[in-house]
Parts: sequence; structure tokens; C-alpha cells
Amino acid sequence: MWSGENSIRLSRICVLVFSLMLAGVALSAPWLVRWFLDFSRAELAGKDGCFFTTIYLGSLPAAVLLHKLYRLLRHLEMGQVFIQANVEDLRRISWCSFAGALICLISSLYYIPWIFVSVAAAFMGLIVRVVKNVFAQAVELQNESELTI
Amino acid sequence: MPIIVNLDVVMAKRKMSSGELAERIGISQANLSILKTGKAKAMRFSTLESICEVLDCQPGDILEFRKQDS
Repeated sequence: MWSGENSIRLSRICVLVFSLMLAGVALSAPWLVRWFLDFSRAELAGKDGCFFTTIYLGSLPAAVLLHKLYRLLRHLEMGQVFIQANVEDLRRISWCSFAGALICLISSLYYIPWIFVSVAAAFMGLIVRVVKNVFAQAVELQNESELTI
Repeated sequence: MPIIVNLDVVMAKRKMSSGELAERIGISQANLSILKTGKAKAMRFSTLESICEVLDCQPGDILEFRKQDS
């Protein structure tokens, strides 16, 4: 029987899978970049360093984002939904998305397709920011309702 | 907050303990403590009605408005 608990567990597994993928990308970056440069028809010779910089710089906000996402899911699993810590986590997740978007935007100077990743990351950051605003209001409402005697 | 809860004053006048009041109005002692210490953000009319009935007083005896110095 499918339940909310199982759904949260599945989300946590997905976060762990993405964390492993991120670690995999960070570890295999030299081979990945080499393969991509050989495979790509764009004239990218000598741009290895730029790709490494984008991948390793982008890995930092991605790792923080995944950590905060995991923590948020742990709180949800414990039944702590509308708490200030979740609002803070969502705020950080949103800023990590914007940081990733900025890194990709700068990277589009040497490889234009990065701009698509940048727009997607910025859009995700915006959505998370709106969810954070909703959570902040919900926390306030819950506090008020708890202090109504 | 400029709304002051004078519940402890009325309780002292009626010589009623927190435990007894909480039991008679049907709220927990923890909630009564929130009310007495002024930490509450709102009070239900039903709670106010019960308090007034048990303590035989008026809402104005329990709640007081004091202007905040700006």
C-alpha cells in the first residue's frame, strides 16, 4: 500500500541517487570532459580547464542543495513540517539554485548551451523561493494557532 | 503587546489554583500558563466565556489595554 511515508522514503532515495551521481561526475570529470570534447563538433579545443572549473564550482552549490534537501525530507519524515528550519533549508536550496544558474550563465561565455542549464536552474530557484514564502507564512500561521488558547 | 492578561490577579482574588482553573475550564495547565504569562497570541471567545463563568468575572477584569510608549 502506497503511503505518504513511502513517498518521502522514495524522495530520500532519489536524493541519495543524485548525490552519488554528483560524486560520480566530480570524480570522473577528467574522462567526461575529454570524451565530450572529442565527441562534440563544436570547436572546444583547449577549453578543458573551463569545463573543469564549471563542473567543480557547480558541484559545490549542488552538494549543499542535496544536503539541505535530504535534511528537509528527514524533518518531513519526523512530522516536523511547518518549522523555521525547513524555511531556512528551502531558502538555502533556492540560493544554491541561483548560484548554479550564475555559474552556468558565466560558463555560457565559452560554451553557449550552458545558458539552457542556467535558465532551468534559475527557474527552479524561483519555484523553490515561492514554496519557501508559502512555508514561511504557514509557520507563522501555525505559531499563531498554537498560541491561541 | 499592549493587551495585558490579569488572570493571575483575578485568580488570586478568588483564591483559585492554576490546576483547578485549568480543569474547570477544560484546558491544559501548559496552555493556562501561556495565557497567564501573556505569551498567547489570541484567546477564543469560548475560553474567555469559560474563564468568566468559573471566576465569576467580566472579560474586562481579565483583559486590559495599555498604550505602548513609542
